[in-house]
Amino acid sequence: MEQPKILIVDDEEDLTSTMVERLELRGFQVEATTSGIDALKRVSETDFGVLILDVKMPGIDGLQLMAEIKRQHLDLPVILLTGHGSAADAERGVTEGAFDYLMKPIALETLVEKIRSAIGSKEGSKS
Amino acid sequence: MAFFGRVGADISHETRNTLSIIGEYAGLLNDLLAMAEKGKPPDYEKLKGISAKIAKQVRRGTESMERFSRFAHAADERAASCDLTALARNVAALAQRRVALAGCRLEVKLPDRMLPVAANPFILQQAVFSAIELMLEFQEAGAVVTIKVLAEASTAVITISGNAPVAGSELADQVSQLTAIMKELQGSVDAHRAEGVLSLALSVPIQ
Repeated sequence: MEQPKILIVDDEEDLTSTMVERLELRGFQVEATTSGIDALKRVSETDFGVLILDVKMPGIDGLQLMAEIKRQHLDLPVILLTGHGSAADAERGVTEGAFDYLMKPIALETLVEKIRSAIGSKEGSKS
Repeated sequence: MAFFGRVGADISHETRNTLSIIGEYAGLLNDLLAMAEKGKPPDYEKLKGISAKIAKQVRRGTESMERFSRFAHAADERAASCDLTALARNVAALAQRRVALAGCRLEVKLPDRMLPVAANPFILQQAVFSAIELMLEFQEAGAVVTIKVLAEASTAVITISGNAPVAGSELADQVSQLTAIMKELQGSVDAHRAEGVLSLALSVPIQ
């Protein structure tokens, strides 16, 4: 069965490119962008299964981006990444509809588990 | 203390990002080694590239820690003087992420020599950082904020400039907070608006 596509949005290009490569090695189809505006465009063009969003980004930040995307794609699961010592913003994100959040630096295997749970939750909500 | 906390949070964020990238590169090396153990020959050029990228992130983290160290040590001292050129360079670097998050760009124009001023470095750092934050409040994405240091007779002036805001009263309120900080340094602040440019000039006596 084909894996749902994942979109990673983070302004650290070195981070996104490496995460893409490592997730692809684990069988996922992954795209990445460093821009929130570009992410909005991609989400309107492609049927993603999971979004991974950095909370703090230049321009439109992760929480604003999530709110914008959820208007059109309410069921699309979002996993937030936060580089802040305090998880307050990410916790707020969960109350506003994010599936879950992870603090940076992340362990990729933990992210993979969250991605699988998020995909499962989306499939479950369809049936 | 709030100022110290804001700068500390920015550095912590920068450090977490740097460590995240190093962690991902280390993970990628593990992935590639695991594939090599299963018989896929390693791509040595790729391994060299990853090693160079890890080294680049270690330099980024080290520079960030050094900036924070200079900032934090200024708080320890009951110093009455400092080098304005070095201080402005350090504060500009500390403010880079805040500027980037606002979608703006920071242009730094500093003299190529020391400029000793009679001012406590920690309070002066706070004044310069606050002036940058104030300027950012009035900027739209894509704007350029400039920091310039000049010596004028017995006074050194650090000027932060950017696009001028439309409303005026809010600016007056916020400049008054900056004025209070500068008074502690026996300095002054001059907010000047002309031809669409807002400038905040912080003056302190040259030592």
